[in-house]
Amino acid sequence: MRRLEMVLSRLAWFVPTMAGLIVIVFLISNVIPTDPVRIMAGENATQEQVEALRVKLGYDKPLAVQLLRHFQDVLSGNLGTSIYTQRPISEDLFKRLPATLELSIAAITVAILLGIPLGVVSALKRNAWIDQVLRVLSVSGLAFAAFWLAMELQFLFSMTLRIAPLNGRISGFGPDPVTGFMTIDSLIQGDWESLRSALAHLCLPALTLALPAAATIVRFSRAGVLEVINSNHVLYQRAMGIPSRLIVWKYVLRNALISTVTQIGLIFGVLLTNAVVVETVFDWPGLGSFAVQSILQSDHKAIIGFTIWTGGLIVAINLLVDIAHSLIDPRGAR
Amino acid sequence: MTGGAMTGGAATARRQQAGWQRVLKRFTGDRAAFLGASLILTLVLVAIFAPVLSPFPGDVSEFHTAQRLRPPDAVNWLGTDRMGSDLLSRILFGARITITIAVIAVGTAVLVGVPIGLVAGYYVGWPSNLLMRVSDIFLAVPQIVLAIAIAQTLGPSIENVILALSITYWPFWARLVYAETRSVKNEVFVESAIALGASAPRVMILHILPNIASAIIVRTSIGMGATILTAAALGFLGLGAPPPAPEWGRMIAESREFLPEAWWYATAPGIAIFLVVMGFNLLGDGLRDILDPRIRRAVGRSE
Repeated sequence: MRRLEMVLSRLAWFVPTMAGLIVIVFLISNVIPTDPVRIMAGENATQEQVEALRVKLGYDKPLAVQLLRHFQDVLSGNLGTSIYTQRPISEDLFKRLPATLELSIAAITVAILLGIPLGVVSALKRNAWIDQVLRVLSVSGLAFAAFWLAMELQFLFSMTLRIAPLNGRISGFGPDPVTGFMTIDSLIQGDWESLRSALAHLCLPALTLALPAAATIVRFSRAGVLEVINSNHVLYQRAMGIPSRLIVWKYVLRNALISTVTQIGLIFGVLLTNAVVVETVFDWPGLGSFAVQSILQSDHKAIIGFTIWTGGLIVAINLLVDIAHSLIDPRGAR
Repeated sequence: MTGGAMTGGAATARRQQAGWQRVLKRFTGDRAAFLGASLILTLVLVAIFAPVLSPFPGDVSEFHTAQRLRPPDAVNWLGTDRMGSDLLSRILFGARITITIAVIAVGTAVLVGVPIGLVAGYYVGWPSNLLMRVSDIFLAVPQIVLAIAIAQTLGPSIENVILALSITYWPFWARLVYAETRSVKNEVFVESAIALGASAPRVMILHILPNIASAIIVRTSIGMGATILTAAALGFLGLGAPPPAPEWGRMIAESREFLPEAWWYATAPGIAIFLVVMGFNLLGDGLRDILDPRIRRAVGRSE
């Protein structure tokens, strides 16, 4: 019962958080002392043209009225029309969402497969040379500019060694879109050639995004394991003569996993941050490259739409992580 | 005030001094922190003496199209860019932009966020809750997303990058200081200070702030690194200083179309970013081990 209550209260927070996000994005784009209408009208527009556009777009109304209209628009899914594609922005974002999700999920999988074992080894061999090496690597993993790493990987694997595709999601037309996930769609349709191509195209961008995330996971899982190893219950088990290997496999690993799962929301945030620039380098048709194209076009409405969608995505993921955590870990229910 | 109180104060001062000496000793003993500090010191010196150190100081704004895209040689140690300017000189001058953005943006965020977090953590009530909810909303979105939205609205310039980064970064500090304040607030020494009649500002500034300072210092160092990366990404996207400013992120963006032939063009500014961010991360990591008594104790117990 208490868990249900807890899950419900977390769910209830989703609404005010999203409302707050919409307000903040609105204020940022309106309180800042520039004239969005002036920018939209272009440098050569006359004062009359600017004023006409202002009335047309509703920017002449009081701020509160504008905010209310903005709310109505966002809630009805109407984010305006993209200057770049001439299509509704929500439609564009929805079409591009699977590409970003596919890339992020691939990256997080790689990061977890790399990060957790290395973090556990690092903790078990605390202060040995391997721990020192991993410490240096995990600090450096967070010091790269993601877009630079992306370019250097392209340079090395695509341009020089020619063993990975340079950019894009797939060669040729690819499978018929069902879910929008290239890998899943080719699996469903039994199109092995497309699957191979989709996986090959995923390699470099996923690796670029996975490296900083893996560095973060190494640190969390190392700390998680150290905390458990030093805890009284492990001390007790040792005293009872339970073999070390059993303790590690049964208790320590599970706790390292839990401490990583609780950070997935945070790691996902880092991932999306990097995705914005990495998608651009790899011409990956996801949300991030949409945002960058919108910047280049000074497409104000599209950027607001992107901000709201990304914010919503992260808030939703954090919510799911919170709920999952409260279900796994009884202490979380309080 | 009696003599007893004064000797008590003197003893505290002595203890504090000994504490700082211990910190200094640990600092020189911690290779990571020392290396980090050296990298940052190098950055600062390079930024100050860029005109002296650069082989071609004029190349920040001068073009020599006849010498464009030359690989590294004895004259241009790191090669030349698409305008024929010396890359080494541009990177050295770029240190100024990097350090200006990082110091002002992080400084502003700290100066705004820390007092807010301190006051919100000290007083219990709906204004505190509201403040924290607002910062939660900011923190729900990746910083770069909001920063892109702001910088795009304002137009590309260094000032706007700094503004965008400060606006999106203060909530992080408010949240951090709020949590730290809440945990320190119930300690006996704070309760006794309040019981002795100390005013709220006095308790906050003289009793709580010094005890959460180490957390703030550690996060400032790591935050500088993160801010330099975000600023570089904004520059890469064309939202930073307009050309011909030698901004590292923009230089990497410009180099993209010349890969794979001009491999040196992207490599040099990328390594510059890496070294500087690495410096701040190493320093932050080292300072955490040195300053945070909880971790020190935990490590001491386990070894």
